[in-house]
Amino acid sequence: MKILDADKLPDLAAVLAAAGYRVVAPVRDGAQVRMAEWKPGLAIDAGPIPANSVKEFLFPRCEVIARYSLDGDSFAPQPAPVDAPKTAVLAVRPCDAAAMVALDKVFNWEYRDDAWNARREATTLVALVCAAADDECFCTSVGGAPDARLGADAVLRCADGASKFILEALGEKGQALLAAAAGVLADGDARPDPPASVPVRFDSKAVTDWCGENFESPLWRDLGLACLGCGSCAYACPVCHCFDIQDEGTRSEAVRLRNWDTCGLALFTQHSGGHNPRPDQAARWRQRVMHKFRYFVERFGGLACTGCGRCARLCPARLAISQVCREIDEARKAAAK
Amino acid sequence: MTIAIYQSAMMNIVLARDEAPDVRTLRLQFADEADRVRFFQKYRVGMFGLYGVPGAGESAFCVASPPTRTGYVECTFRRTGRVTAAIRDREVGQAVTFRGPYGNSFPIESWKGRAIVFIAGGIGLPPIRSVIWNVLDRPGDFGPVTIVYGARTVADLVYKDELADWGARPDVKLVTAVDPGGETPDWKGQVGFVPFVLDHAAPPGAGAVALVCGPPIMIKFTLPVLLKLGFAPKDVYTTLENRMKCGVGQCGRCNVGSTYVCRDGPVFTLDQLRHMPAADM
Amino acid sequence: MSTSEAIRADAARLLAEGRAKLVIGYRARGPHRAPAFVSDPAGVDVLIYDNLCKQNLAVYLRKPEVRSRGPVAVVAPPAVMRSLVVLAAESQLTEATVLAVGPDAYHGVLDLAGAAALLKEKYADLAPSPELLEALAKLDAMSPQERARFWTDQFAKCTRCYACRAACPLCYCARCIVEKNVPQWISTAAAQHGNFAWQIIRAFHQAGRCTLCGACEAACPQGIPLMLLNLALSEEVAKQFGEKPGYDPAAKPVIGSWKPDDDQGFVR
Repeated sequence: MKILDADKLPDLAAVLAAAGYRVVAPVRDGAQVRMAEWKPGLAIDAGPIPANSVKEFLFPRCEVIARYSLDGDSFAPQPAPVDAPKTAVLAVRPCDAAAMVALDKVFNWEYRDDAWNARREATTLVALVCAAADDECFCTSVGGAPDARLGADAVLRCADGASKFILEALGEKGQALLAAAAGVLADGDARPDPPASVPVRFDSKAVTDWCGENFESPLWRDLGLACLGCGSCAYACPVCHCFDIQDEGTRSEAVRLRNWDTCGLALFTQHSGGHNPRPDQAARWRQRVMHKFRYFVERFGGLACTGCGRCARLCPARLAISQVCREIDEARKAAAK
Repeated sequence: MTIAIYQSAMMNIVLARDEAPDVRTLRLQFADEADRVRFFQKYRVGMFGLYGVPGAGESAFCVASPPTRTGYVECTFRRTGRVTAAIRDREVGQAVTFRGPYGNSFPIESWKGRAIVFIAGGIGLPPIRSVIWNVLDRPGDFGPVTIVYGARTVADLVYKDELADWGARPDVKLVTAVDPGGETPDWKGQVGFVPFVLDHAAPPGAGAVALVCGPPIMIKFTLPVLLKLGFAPKDVYTTLENRMKCGVGQCGRCNVGSTYVCRDGPVFTLDQLRHMPAADM
Repeated sequence: MSTSEAIRADAARLLAEGRAKLVIGYRARGPHRAPAFVSDPAGVDVLIYDNLCKQNLAVYLRKPEVRSRGPVAVVAPPAVMRSLVVLAAESQLTEATVLAVGPDAYHGVLDLAGAAALLKEKYADLAPSPELLEALAKLDAMSPQERARFWTDQFAKCTRCYACRAACPLCYCARCIVEKNVPQWISTAAAQHGNFAWQIIRAFHQAGRCTLCGACEAACPQGIPLMLLNLALSEEVAKQFGEKPGYDPAAKPVIGSWKPDDDQGFVR
């Protein structure tokens, strides 16, 4: 059994950095703990659930997908190399790791996205078994668990009353990481601490079924009233993956960019002629719930939600998709009686 | 390594024709022969492409020329925003970027021997013009062809030369129309909205195929007329023009329900549309 | 009667009498506070008010879905009332019905003039928190290079989700400048250049208007300290023009008006 003292996460980060990994880890930043690129001297705080998901390290907010040199009215393509550094993500939450598996499907279901695949291949996800959860966590309602291993290449688990970590490799990438970290790992025994307890808040199957019959529902109108129409929930979500493609440039160079985008923003579906198929926030909330709990299931055979709860923690109006799902589930049960 | 799915071909503009106010047709030739070969191996009528100008962006529109004409690609578009303005500003001899073809196609091989009715409004003609030429370029393969085409005004009719050609052909019945108030003193066609004109032209629907493309309001009122004329919902086709960015089923913009319009469409039958959440279209 | 009970009673009365078709207030969601939209007098029981109710509900008055409901009444702490006063001063609304609450008391149902009078009488000296003042003083003490690095680090986090804009009652432009692309004024990429442009433009568009309610910073999912920018600009406006927005519904906008004795020292 490979053991690491609880306060030695920075040592693990340092040894991995020395072995050529870009290390991403939860670090404190003002009032938040954020997943960020670790630099020597930074403390690692694996306690709170990070405000941002791991998504941005595999699917950046903004990425150059094509590049052109410009010369008057003519242009010529230039290389736009994919940035896919060898990366170790420490203490990624199981909900985030599972989300990457959902995104694998999106980026490969027909056309294969080289950038996503290259970064995925270059990234080793070291999941942290959640020792605590908060009232927005709902992984157990969407098929996950605080100690789930889906998508993880290695697992960190608190042990001996949070005084140690047990580090376990789950595959080749994990084994390579453990080998690189051998210098800071000790062989020994430790008793794993129990994982957090996350109550099941709703039956996701019931939500999927309900969505199939309730494209028109007063629920959407009510949600649409409170929703402010920002992109906070989608950008915090580890599974939301919608993007925009925009060109920008100077007189001598143009870049084609892939930027995060979201169905919550009014312009997302706006036609240039003015027609908008989703004209209000009610239609956009419906799309959010339907996509995560029905359309994604139909298309890819799983939910597009891993229960991390970030959308609710960060929503300026404190709307929570888990509560929406719970109300749907309860309404369905009430109707069945 | 680059992201292969976003690499565009370079295409040179060899012909530019103004069809109507703000509507232009470009004929494009692949700068690289390998790109041309790749394109025509895949291209079937109904597919679309992403046309772009570096620095301005990419825009999705249909391929308006048929696969029977393998020397070039034509597109017809209306200038509405930043990208279409930039493409329109390109001149003959200059280049644009192109990637595609994307999407599904009209299953024309299953239409052999059957009557085909084309119904279009305004800028809705280009997506089915490729089908019209594909059918007409293969004499004997298909049954009688009827084209019902309307626009707001006479000036808004696109492909005016081709309309004249089609009108003169013995194998085509062409009905053109403009909305009331859009006619000129010498207008010889009909005056009225497309659904009304179609109702009057009354092409027999039983066993026939219909293709409808135009503004949502036109499609909405045309479909009941087609059903009244006896067309089966599985034989009525249209193409959806949702906003698209990636074209490869990833960006999430064109979704209608679990359907990716860019991959599962843009061609759908009325039968399929009935099973999709209408409000998202 | 507790404040929450008083709010419920007034809300029920406004709805029953037809003076409001919709009451916007606060409700509990677990330990959190979320907005409540009540259109039926029988539904007022969800309304609560306590010191956890922080969201600036004035933001909802710009939503067509809300406006189309008919007359609206809003549960309004001083920050919300100040936003409504600015909206009135900027001709975005002509009248308002508020259920006025303060940290100390419930003031009942007021119209716009009543809210403005109450603000002047009881809430004229709302000061920023000592922590915020201290943070700004620390920033002011930095060298320009240090300050630039501070903001570079902060703005680097911006994902351009525009939650700051969405949460602000005063960001009501039908089409925001970041969404105008002919020409593209501001880079769309969530990267340094565009992030700086967006953040500075957002702050500058608030100069002389911002009431320091804190909604933008509370909404920012990335924890960017937007109130430092807002406060710096607000103090500058107070110093230059002696104005404090959100107290006079007839006030002329500071940046949109001119007085002969305005400081012209910057004109060189």
